Amino acid sequence: MTATAATAAQAGLMSCEACQMLSRPAEPGHPAYCRRCGEELEFRHHGSIQKTWALIIAAAICYVPANLLPVMNTSRLGTSEADTILQGVEFLYASGSWPLALVVLIASVMIPIGKLIALGYLLVTVQRGSVTSNHERTRLYRLVEIIGRWSMLDVFVVTFTVAMVQLQPLMSVAPGPGVLFFAAVVVLTMLAAEIFDPRLIWDSAYPHQNGHG
Amino acid sequence: MADEPQLDNVPEATVVRRKRLRFSVIWIIPVLAAAVAIGLAIQRARSEGPVITITLKSAGGIEAGKTFIKYKDVRIGLVTAVELSEDFSKVVVKAKIAKHSAGLMVEDAKFWVVQPRISLEGISGLNTLLSGNYIGFQAGKSLEEQSAFTGLDEPPTVLDQPGRRFVLKARNLGSLGVGDPVYYRGILVGQVAAYNLVAEGKSVEITIFVDSPYDKYVTAETRFWNASGIDISVGADGVDIRTESLAALVAGGMAFDSPDYLPPAEPAAANTAFPLYRNRAIAMKQPDPIERRFVLYFNESVRGLSVGAPVTLYGLRVGEVAEVGLHYDAAKHTFRPRVLVTFFPDQVVGRMTAKQQVTNGKELTTYSKEARLSLLRQNVEERGLRGQLKTGSYLTGELYVAFEYFPDAPKPKLDWSRDPLELPVVAGGFANIEAKLSSILTKVDNMPLNAIGTEVKDALASLNQTLKEADKLVRNVDAQLVPEGTKTLEEMRRAMSSADRVLKNTDATLFGKDSPAPQDLRDTLQEVTRAARSVRILVDYLERHPEMLIRGKTEEKP
Repeated sequence: MTATAATAAQAGLMSCEACQMLSRPAEPGHPAYCRRCGEELEFRHHGSIQKTWALIIAAAICYVPANLLPVMNTSRLGTSEADTILQGVEFLYASGSWPLALVVLIASVMIPIGKLIALGYLLVTVQRGSVTSNHERTRLYRLVEIIGRWSMLDVFVVTFTVAMVQLQPLMSVAPGPGVLFFAAVVVLTMLAAEIFDPRLIWDSAYPHQNGHG
Repeated sequence: MADEPQLDNVPEATVVRRKRLRFSVIWIIPVLAAAVAIGLAIQRARSEGPVITITLKSAGGIEAGKTFIKYKDVRIGLVTAVELSEDFSKVVVKAKIAKHSAGLMVEDAKFWVVQPRISLEGISGLNTLLSGNYIGFQAGKSLEEQSAFTGLDEPPTVLDQPGRRFVLKARNLGSLGVGDPVYYRGILVGQVAAYNLVAEGKSVEITIFVDSPYDKYVTAETRFWNASGIDISVGADGVDIRTESLAALVAGGMAFDSPDYLPPAEPAAANTAFPLYRNRAIAMKQPDPIERRFVLYFNESVRGLSVGAPVTLYGLRVGEVAEVGLHYDAAKHTFRPRVLVTFFPDQVVGRMTAKQQVTNGKELTTYSKEARLSLLRQNVEERGLRGQLKTGSYLTGELYVAFEYFPDAPKPKLDWSRDPLELPVVAGGFANIEAKLSSILTKVDNMPLNAIGTEVKDALASLNQTLKEADKLVRNVDAQLVPEGTKTLEEMRRAMSSADRVLKNTDATLFGKDSPAPQDLRDTLQEVTRAARSVRILVDYLERHPEMLIRGKTEEKP
């Protein structure tokens, strides 16, 4: 690696995200497709920062009702109980199963907000052209990407329970509106992580030859 | 490694020209999310009703976020917090009321905790066993909005139903309680709504609620009485047991009715106050507006004569005993029982026929004092009106005072100017029997029983002698008369046989061929046969129609 060509973009080349094949941009500033696999080629994801911002803002908005609205309506012999995620955590903790409470708290409350914060942090640092701790930020991004799907645990539990617990007169469980927002948060953050271009983290490290981004 | 020629070998990308948008379409997502979220928030905010506080004595079964406030079984609110009051003496429950029910939170709205209740009148709130307790609500009529309420300890017994409240005043509550039944002629028509001590603490005010349409039977003349438990009254009138219903018997209750002797009255207005009587007999007793008091001094035990015992005239009740006590005769240094009786002229008048009531009744009750006195004096001195103690019930020994006429009674010496006037008495009833018995016994006692015994002994001895002599006599008769008797019998036989002969001759004469007697006899016999047939027919007919003997022969129907 030379100082002049630390990134493919700086070398005036585009790497295919699917098959890693390098291509020379035929007409800079316009979308191109990989000759080998047909993947769309870009120096950097187009409008990555903007789109990521849009998605994480949407996710942040959805995060509020996801936590305020009940995710599960439990009807037990005439009494109906609607629980939000935090109430579920509280109930688990109060009933003594604090490890389970911790799992739910981390998977359903901490991780989504952690992802939003992490992505926000990445976006802000990229936009400010931060040059420090690039490796850490890349690692953070990978973590966000890997961890994303696990947040669907809650949604999974709710759908599973709703399907299983249908003892009509005695007990039944119905999904609450919160679960939709919760799923929206998870999906939006996953998409945001997907759209964010981690290559941007490194662009600022080599600021002298840019113009394709 | 990064040489130019090598880079030249990199193939060129395909170019597709497309107009780029300055803003990504993706911004629609957050806008949409925001719109939905804000929409939800607005909807929530709009459906959000007021938050109220209810102060309760205890928070039995109330949980924040789980306990609902229900009105007519519809959830109108949810408890959001359960806290102790500042002085830790009460529980303050905060509840969020649904927007649509916000208008119900007025000054006189009522809240109470609904929990399963088992009482003799029934089991209520069973649904709470499954659903947990909830807070019951009753709408008020006021228009003043309010956000702080005090919960009731007990559910209000009267839930928005037509009817009227009445206030009863009693000396004590007895076994009555809120929710106890009110009966009218044995029908459950209402219940006790509340009770409280009046300010001075000397009596109790009981509020009852009589359901419509029965409330119209509560008139100005209605009497209320406590129907709790069994009302057993043992008096000179006998034993009287009354109870309204088994529930009332065990749990208490009250009943009302209007006395039959009063004309029907207009229904009473709501919240009219009535006295609550101890029992039916007292309640239904006719008020006796005019009363005259007399005092009687007896010479016998008044044990068994109680206050309230009847005073009768020819066995009909005309008054009651007002007081039983002792009188000390200072001159003779002796005690006598003193019985003060109350006499109700109205009751005497009430016993007369309607016509007489009109013609004479008024006079009798409105006589001047002098006129009354002279009437009484005439009755006492000339007709012999006397008071007498009589036993009403031999079982209980209850006594009553009976006034009757004793024309043979000696003329009494009475002071006619005293008040209350003294009326003469005669030893009566049981005492009389006792006196007679003792006089009989005295006579028996006085009999010369020993002398009689000796005489009887002598008599028996002489009787014995007589019998012996009779025996002797009989033996003599035996010896002398029997042979004579045999002779006589033989003669009698002879006489009989000659009579036989005579009869045979007569037979021949009478029933000979040419004699008219057989013909006559045959005719007679035919007549007899006919008569016998008639008798048989009669007997047959009688057998079939025995009622003929009473009603006579009736035409037989075909």
